[in-house]
Amino acid sequence: MAVSSIRDVEFGAELPVFEPDTGLANVKRFVVAAGWNGPRFTDHEAARKEGLPGALVPGILSQGYLAAMIHRWAPEALIQNVDTVFRAPLIVDEPCSISGVVTDIDEEAGRVEIDLTITNAKGETRVFGTAEVKLPA
Amino acid sequence: MTETLNIDSIRTNFLNQDYDERHFELTPEQIVDYAEACGETALRYTDPEHPDFQAPPTFASSFQPGKRLPDGFPKLPGLGMDAGKAVSPKAPMRPGVPLVGRTHLHDVYAKTGRSGRMTFMVTRMEVYDPDQLLLATADTRIVIRERPTKVAP
Repeated sequence: MAVSSIRDVEFGAELPVFEPDTGLANVKRFVVAAGWNGPRFTDHEAARKEGLPGALVPGILSQGYLAAMIHRWAPEALIQNVDTVFRAPLIVDEPCSISGVVTDIDEEAGRVEIDLTITNAKGETRVFGTAEVKLPA
Repeated sequence: MTETLNIDSIRTNFLNQDYDERHFELTPEQIVDYAEACGETALRYTDPEHPDFQAPPTFASSFQPGKRLPDGFPKLPGLGMDAGKAVSPKAPMRPGVPLVGRTHLHDVYAKTGRSGRMTFMVTRMEVYDPDQLLLATADTRIVIRERPTKVAP
């Protein structure tokens, strides 16, 4: 059930897991829109020639996944800040999943804090972040 | 012997001074593509007919300055890697609105561990609309693992 008010949120609540689209076509669409179009994001072979394990999901797309996950959970949420740490790259065409947990609630200010983690299919943390979000009263 | 950045000198000479300015303008198609590729489902980011149609809140993270660091900045003693990004949206970014992004060095600090010293630099772009309303800030953290230099025999 989607969250519509801060009263719906409990400390420690887990957001529904989100499995974003890391497929090549989707990443291409993103990098063109973002002005980041380049072979290291759109061409596995070219990325390997650079010494990378494959084409990379750009860090800014990982960050975009985190924001999208929050809106899927709470469509009216106003994101105040997303701080993202790129621990290791996400590889294009490799599945990943995002988990999130509410770590703080300030009901008076209408604000919640959420810790978010992106893991690959091996369960390795690749990206993590913290978001500060405002929700309606 | 290790070549290191002089953190105090960098702070004195470069911190909080704009060193780059770039202009941007978003199209509705660009916003929809960005939003849908991220997996956004909120209509204010995916439907150009929505009365509150706007760029997704992380969009400012994609804006790149023309220069990575200020002119005259000391040579980096190692490879710089993108360690993370933080974005703080303040007001909606709408399509067709001319935007200006001004970038400054926001912070620089060092951490020392078993593998040596790592220097972190935070560059911040502030995005404004034509009325100079601050729409977003986007921080990029660059980490440099300082490597030992060769010592002459």
